[in-house]
Amino acid sequence: MARQLSDLDTQAQAILAKYDQKGAATLTLLHLAQDHLGHITPEVEQWVSKWTEVPPVHVREVVTFYSMYHRKPVGRNHVLFCTSMSCMLNGGDKLLCHLEKKLGIKRGETTKDGRVSIEEAQCLCNCEGAPMMSVAGEYHTDLSEKKIDQIMDGLK
Amino acid sequence: MSAANANYGLAPAGLEPVVSRYFNLPDAWKIETVLKLGAYETAKKALAGKPEDVLKVVMDSGLRGCGGAGFPTGKKWSFLPKDTKKPIYLVINADEGEPGTCKDRYILERDPHSLIEGIIMSCYAIKSHKCYIYIRGEYVLPAARTQAAVDEAYAKGFLGDNVFGSGYRVDITVHRGAGAYICGEETALLNSLEGKRGLPRLKPPFPAVVGLFGCPTIINNVETIASVMHIGRMGAENFVKWGGGAIGPHLYSVSGHVAKPGVYELPMGITLRDIIYTHAGGVRGGKKIKAVIPGGMSAKILRADEIDVKMDFDSLKAAGTMLGSSGVMVMDEDVCMVKALLYACRFFAHESCGQCSPCREGTGWALKIIERIYRGEGRLEDLDTLLSVAGGMEGRTICVFAEAAAWPIQSYIAKFRSEFEDYIKSGKSAGRDMAAAHAH
Repeated sequence: MARQLSDLDTQAQAILAKYDQKGAATLTLLHLAQDHLGHITPEVEQWVSKWTEVPPVHVREVVTFYSMYHRKPVGRNHVLFCTSMSCMLNGGDKLLCHLEKKLGIKRGETTKDGRVSIEEAQCLCNCEGAPMMSVAGEYHTDLSEKKIDQIMDGLK
Repeated sequence: MSAANANYGLAPAGLEPVVSRYFNLPDAWKIETVLKLGAYETAKKALAGKPEDVLKVVMDSGLRGCGGAGFPTGKKWSFLPKDTKKPIYLVINADEGEPGTCKDRYILERDPHSLIEGIIMSCYAIKSHKCYIYIRGEYVLPAARTQAAVDEAYAKGFLGDNVFGSGYRVDITVHRGAGAYICGEETALLNSLEGKRGLPRLKPPFPAVVGLFGCPTIINNVETIASVMHIGRMGAENFVKWGGGAIGPHLYSVSGHVAKPGVYELPMGITLRDIIYTHAGGVRGGKKIKAVIPGGMSAKILRADEIDVKMDFDSLKAAGTMLGSSGVMVMDEDVCMVKALLYACRFFAHESCGQCSPCREGTGWALKIIERIYRGEGRLEDLDTLLSVAGGMEGRTICVFAEAAAWPIQSYIAKFRSEFEDYIKSGKSAGRDMAAAHAH
């Protein structure tokens, strides 16, 4: 059955109870909806607005301000590839090019089968394990071409 | 998680690790593991005494904020209004995002109960009943571990309406950000926590007076609040004495071209040379140091001949840079400073919140200019234009982000000007690695 926003109503109620003001739940509800549906649609914004009593236009402002909210579908495995200083010093920039070549897509794109998407990320603060990337929320450190290949080949 | 990397929490020989003591202990994030070792005993004792006693021990320790600004913690707490009828909030800044910094992740992921214990004590000291832990959105595992630890503490009666049966109430909500470096700035964090865009607020009023939801609010870093517990546990005097007496233990994140990158707990005031050569294994491949960023991307860069500086707030300030978040990034002799500045400028251009024109425009123009230089199309006068753009941002905005964006430009060019000039003069030389010049 297709996933729906109404699946989340019970969780939304529990989330609101954790905040002193309803509006404060905005980011958390957006995370919840995006984890469930894959990206933020106008319907999600309306749904968050309904729970938080924040006008939809302000929810839209929030969605566009933060880099983790996607307004278009991304891959099932969204890669945040760190391109900050420590990762660059350890060759992360070249490894990102390797990943692009391997998947046949550029940063900002998704593979045709919807399996993987790549996004260039600012520092993910795992500098002691540079170069690193996050795949579907999980950190992978001390990357090499071989390690990237293994991780990518293991993705569903 | 970076379990493969064993170089964390290594205190110098003969010293008991303090904040990092459980970093290597398996399952220390589970309450059953640490309860056997005395977790929550310090907070229990504190709640049996007076709030003023906790405040005093923090004051006596001279603890300074570990998030970047180094503001004395006890003094910050003392700014709260004494007779407010509004609720007082404690907000933990776990929006670790300063490039080169990775220490708070270890506490959240490996030892969250020390943080929670510090929160209970700090709430008691400042008469707060509600704490929000604001964790950066990308920290999925650290947030999950922290949430699980909070749930365990509730189940044991260590949080909630009647903490340890004392009658005192402390509630904690774990909150996740959504990808914005600026939310590490404390007033931007408050706006973000309220469900808004993370735009820094004009100060005054300071958060201690008008903070979260318009109420008095104290915002402290993760390591700072974990340290509050350790100070209570050890006593202020022992904390200060640890490792030689320059104000206790401190977590240093060390990355870049060192042989053993990691998070090291070392005495405040140790020299940068000692951190790199005695603890982090020196430079990989026996190469020479070209430059070191001592306190996260925002800190001004140091040359190889400047690394005998002591790593504490005041010494680094005197050396023209800052301790910041203690994120040490080491660059070996092969690093191209033009490329390094390109990466610094990309970071700040991407992360400027856009609220103030000097910063929004300045970071964008700085990036355009350094990209052109990097592509081999630079002109010598571009360097002075860059410096002028940097000067135009500094001191003209609501928050210190613009200064942080200006400092790399100013310090890289001031200290490596001849390299920048040579790069520009040589134009598009063959063999130069252009991977970074890709569209972004």
